[in-house]
Amino acid sequence: MSKANGLNEKWNHNSIIGFTDTETAMLDFDNTPFRDVKYWTLRAMKWFKLEGFIILKSSENNYHAVFNRKVSWSENMRIVAWASLLSHNKKLLEWLQMQCIKEGSTLRVSPKGDKPSPRIVFRHGKQDRQVKEFLSCRDRIKRIIKKLAGC
Amino acid sequence: MAKKIAVYGSYETKVPVKQRYWKTVTRRYWKTRKAYSYMKKGKLIKVPQGKQRYSKKIRQRVWKTTKRMKKAVMSGRYEFHGKGRDLYKAVVKAHQYMPKGFIDVSAEKFLEQPEAYGVEGEWIEREVES
Repeated sequence: MSKANGLNEKWNHNSIIGFTDTETAMLDFDNTPFRDVKYWTLRAMKWFKLEGFIILKSSENNYHAVFNRKVSWSENMRIVAWASLLSHNKKLLEWLQMQCIKEGSTLRVSPKGDKPSPRIVFRHGKQDRQVKEFLSCRDRIKRIIKKLAGC
Repeated sequence: MAKKIAVYGSYETKVPVKQRYWKTVTRRYWKTRKAYSYMKKGKLIKVPQGKQRYSKKIRQRVWKTTKRMKKAVMSGRYEFHGKGRDLYKAVVKAHQYMPKGFIDVSAEKFLEQPEAYGVEGEWIEREVES
């Protein structure tokens, strides 16, 4: 598999910049092959009627999923708990616990160490609501990163 | 709820060194303190009588914050919400002022008084969870 190429600008800062929201259903699959990620996101989308989703690759075997339908915080956590329990993904369960503590789901946008910034690898269904908002916010963060990288 | 920008990770900052010192106090002072704590608990206070009132000195070990500073590695997180321009400025400022724990603040308020929310330091590369 080819090496991931994300943001081209060199990111010298050691801080991590991410996107946080309570109304967007998001999943963080660590150490999971793409086939499984696609399977579980499709199942979650159908089960919770989430209209559509995008999958972002953050690094090798690490993926993020963002769903289109606007959800409440409790429904958001229901979706993550359902996915983590059925997929037996311990990392996803850990991520769920962290999001519950801070009451908001966060996904990384900036590069982190050697890892590039996550980029879209798969799209499915509608993407006109929360996915659109996520992408616009992601663009805004990327513009900030570009400016910071130029400093 | 508004969408937020999270800035997080580990950082290095300088914190004052705490040290334990010996403090000499008279037994009278010690007894007064003891009596006061008894009084607060609603117990009977016995006033020391005669010689006992002015007896020996005793030593106690107490913690004090010194003026010396040491480097410490800590972790924290900012959650910014607000307008585009303010968000950019806040993220830039977040690279100077490190968060004291978990800070959920509007970018505008943070820009007014960044030192109230963070301490000066530098972000360092270390494995962190999102």
